[in-house]
Amino acid sequence: MSSASPTSADFGKDKSSFDSKAVWRTFWILLCITVFELIVAIVYYETHFFPKHILNGVFVIMTLAKAFFIIAEFMHLGHEIKNLIMTIAIPACLFIWFLIAFIWDGSSFHDLRMRYDKYQYEQSKTKVKPVEHKEEGKKPGVE
Amino acid sequence: MAQTVPVGQKWWSGGRSPFNVEYGKLMMWYFLMSDAFTFGAFLISYGTIRFSSSSWPNPNEVFKSFPFIGEMTVPLAFVSLMTFILIMSSVTMVMAVGAGQAQDRKAVMKWMFLTILGGLAFLGCQAWEWTHLHNEGAWWGRNPFMNIDGTQSSTNFTNFFFTITGFHGFHVFSGVIINTIMLIKTWRGDFQRTGHYLMIEKAGLYWHFVDLVWVFVFTCFYLL
Amino acid sequence: MSTDSTIHGTGEVIVSHDTHDAGPEVHHHKETFITKYVFSQDHKMICKQFLITGMIWAILGGLMSVLFRLQLGYPDSTFPWLEDILGKWAKGGKIQPEAYYALITMHGTVLVFFVLTGGLSGTFANFLIPLQIGARDMASPFLNMLSYWFFWMASVVMLTSLFIETGPASGGWTVYPPLSALGDANLGSKGGMDYWITGMALFVVSSLLGGLNYITTILNMRTKGMSMTRLPLTIWAILFTAILGVLSFPVLLSGLILLLFDRHAGTSFYLSDIFISATQKALPNEGGSPILYQHLFWFLGHPEVYIIILPAMGLVSEVMAINSRKPIFGYMAMVGSLMAITILAFLVWAHHMFVTGLNPFLGSVFVLLTLLIAVPSAIKVFNWLTTLWRGNIRFTPAMLFAIGFVSMFISGGLTGVFLGNSTLDIHLHDTMFIVAHFHIVMGVSAFLGMFCGVYHWFPKMYGRYMNNTMAYIHFWVTFAGAYLIFWPMHYEGLAGLPRRYMDYSGWSSFNQFGGLNRFISTVSMVVFAVQLMFVFNFFYSIFKGRKVISKNPWQANTLEWTTPIRPGHGNWPGEIPEVHRWAYDYGKDGKEFILQTEPLGADEQHH
Repeated sequence: MSSASPTSADFGKDKSSFDSKAVWRTFWILLCITVFELIVAIVYYETHFFPKHILNGVFVIMTLAKAFFIIAEFMHLGHEIKNLIMTIAIPACLFIWFLIAFIWDGSSFHDLRMRYDKYQYEQSKTKVKPVEHKEEGKKPGVE
Repeated sequence: MAQTVPVGQKWWSGGRSPFNVEYGKLMMWYFLMSDAFTFGAFLISYGTIRFSSSSWPNPNEVFKSFPFIGEMTVPLAFVSLMTFILIMSSVTMVMAVGAGQAQDRKAVMKWMFLTILGGLAFLGCQAWEWTHLHNEGAWWGRNPFMNIDGTQSSTNFTNFFFTITGFHGFHVFSGVIINTIMLIKTWRGDFQRTGHYLMIEKAGLYWHFVDLVWVFVFTCFYLL
Repeated sequence: MSTDSTIHGTGEVIVSHDTHDAGPEVHHHKETFITKYVFSQDHKMICKQFLITGMIWAILGGLMSVLFRLQLGYPDSTFPWLEDILGKWAKGGKIQPEAYYALITMHGTVLVFFVLTGGLSGTFANFLIPLQIGARDMASPFLNMLSYWFFWMASVVMLTSLFIETGPASGGWTVYPPLSALGDANLGSKGGMDYWITGMALFVVSSLLGGLNYITTILNMRTKGMSMTRLPLTIWAILFTAILGVLSFPVLLSGLILLLFDRHAGTSFYLSDIFISATQKALPNEGGSPILYQHLFWFLGHPEVYIIILPAMGLVSEVMAINSRKPIFGYMAMVGSLMAITILAFLVWAHHMFVTGLNPFLGSVFVLLTLLIAVPSAIKVFNWLTTLWRGNIRFTPAMLFAIGFVSMFISGGLTGVFLGNSTLDIHLHDTMFIVAHFHIVMGVSAFLGMFCGVYHWFPKMYGRYMNNTMAYIHFWVTFAGAYLIFWPMHYEGLAGLPRRYMDYSGWSSFNQFGGLNRFISTVSMVVFAVQLMFVFNFFYSIFKGRKVISKNPWQANTLEWTTPIRPGHGNWPGEIPEVHRWAYDYGKDGKEFILQTEPLGADEQHH
């Protein structure tokens, strides 16, 4: 095809920037973050040393950090041209409002239910007995 | 880090890719963007339902078993192993891509094989976890676990868990299939003939994306 | 007005750019019937496949509307022939309630997704992208072919659902749960709903394959000199359409997967505390939120209306500049407003949900974002009007449809400002006002844009002209008819007439609209008949239309008119032309038009 557009072969060759050291560094970073998250989660489980919602914020930030390293290093986006990075990064920003609006309305739905749905309200206050986990196929809880 | 466009070079003026990448890679990137919205929609739905519920089961209570150690409880240990496996297989995938850029067929085959192995190991772990939870009475529409505050939980904890990890597992599975095809093609020397290993890079992008999604699934289901 | 002199007023101009025509066809490979017409990878053939499939769907979808308009216009009459064609769905010659719901549901689904998404962007994205950016074909012709065949499979599944025992989906085109999630609740929520979900899933795959291809082709395959700011506005519009589709359809897919689980796996994503009166059964589901589905649906649903209208905007901009013999007014503003619309399209979805119990404060944020869309929309409208201003207008059929589009877009857009305000929306929600609004602004407008495109590019597609007399009749009846149908609906809606009712005669307050409804129904039948005439004109002209004898019959600037009259696979014999200027050099330097391939003169400014 005598196309003016570039062919695949043009892009396959002039690559030299592979750096296995950077890959292992990323691996260690990811592993450390994950291990740290686990330790925090387990320590919290044992001691409840910290308000959970602040902890959740920490988890989210660390998750985003991990996502950044995976995308930038493993997926090599950090080494692409800025234009390409932008075409990925800008649409990803849509998630911000996507998430905020959904969660906002979800929590508003919860408030409405608690205020107007007496049954739901009582359910949320009624403790149930722990059930034996092994009984398969049965819907647990109060009848 | 980010490569800037050299001054005076007209990247957008046509006749070449403005991003200096081949169309297939671009397509893969935008497909992944699209797929991110599929997963994003699932996870955000999960968040929405969780925010509209009064309480929610405690993941440390649910995910505390480990195969072959009996009744001993180790919260989150098994899922950490799964995460480790997936990150490891991502590393081997990057190695395969690197070997492809160096036109080293043998090395590509070695790393691809390890990546596939990692994927299968992950799927195996997931199968074990699902079986275990199923034995405890959990499935779509059935939730044996209590809320953290001792009230009765709706079934949506298990509903979302199985749907989203299932959808992720489906992606891992198709990733393994794609990687196997790539391994066969490498073995046959197809990429040697075309002169480039771009297909490995595209498969790699997909594989890393699966890893990326797992990072979010891990946080949403096991930590928060 | 003599139609011939309108189109060929300046005579056949032979362009001076035939230097590339020498040399053999680049793509000279053996083509069988199967590879040429069925599993074709030529974007021009795929375009025709999309167009004709879309036309078949449009006839079916239009016919459905005629049937339920018959019911609305003549609620007391019976039509025995209806029983002949619909069987038990029209027992005694009267459309049954289940059938009525099925008809409006499928009318919406078919026209929104299969005609105005698949048919419109499928057709013109496939046709125009390679031709106008100067490429041999799409980035991946194979995926492009798959895109059509997934569309075809989706079509088959959706068509099949019309014929199953319990009928097609009938919970409205938005298929809100719990109605759509509970098979026991409604006849149309049984098998038909599963077909609907399957069909839509296939449709999402098709639109994804297509969209990825459009985006990468536009970015990567432009010919030398075709910078982004030299692209015709059609291509810009298609690019943003594709972006909208690629990012929003997956969210619908997620929502539908969750719906499928609710239907068949006993989950409660959308279900909570339900008692079905039909079976006297209380369901065990708890903890779900039906509002969640609506959020997921409208996260697609709102971008979807822009997926429908943006390609039409692109086509209209191009046709308007060509036939005004003037550069498009405010090219960069047009591109910028397309981009603004694209971004805002993702931020405003919940304005469809003001009365669901949405948090009022959140609702007011959505009001603000929604009303912001008026700004880029108004920019576009004023730019079209200023393009027409003092232009040397040629009233070709395509141009008439383009002007009609602008008129419709203004009328429909203004009522959008009413509906975007949550306080007003509480009154207008679910009335005929909203029906009038979206039919004018996205239904009729997009159709006019599509017709504009078909009339304009028909000579390029088939090497023949469409019949002008029929085209003019088509335009005036459609244009006037659309206003006559939908304008009165605004008054009905303001008076509180609800939508989706099959018989208003039981309410004394709505009795006054009996005559008006009859009028609307009559006009809609006339308009439908005229669309059939368009279809006839289309197929007649493919075989018998007047032949095109010059490469550039409209004296346009863009690259598709530098190809041979009937281009083969590969579009340009010989080299692909190089581009030296933007697409809108009309009436410049004493020349009526300057092709994009013309090198800049010594004293010319770079664009």
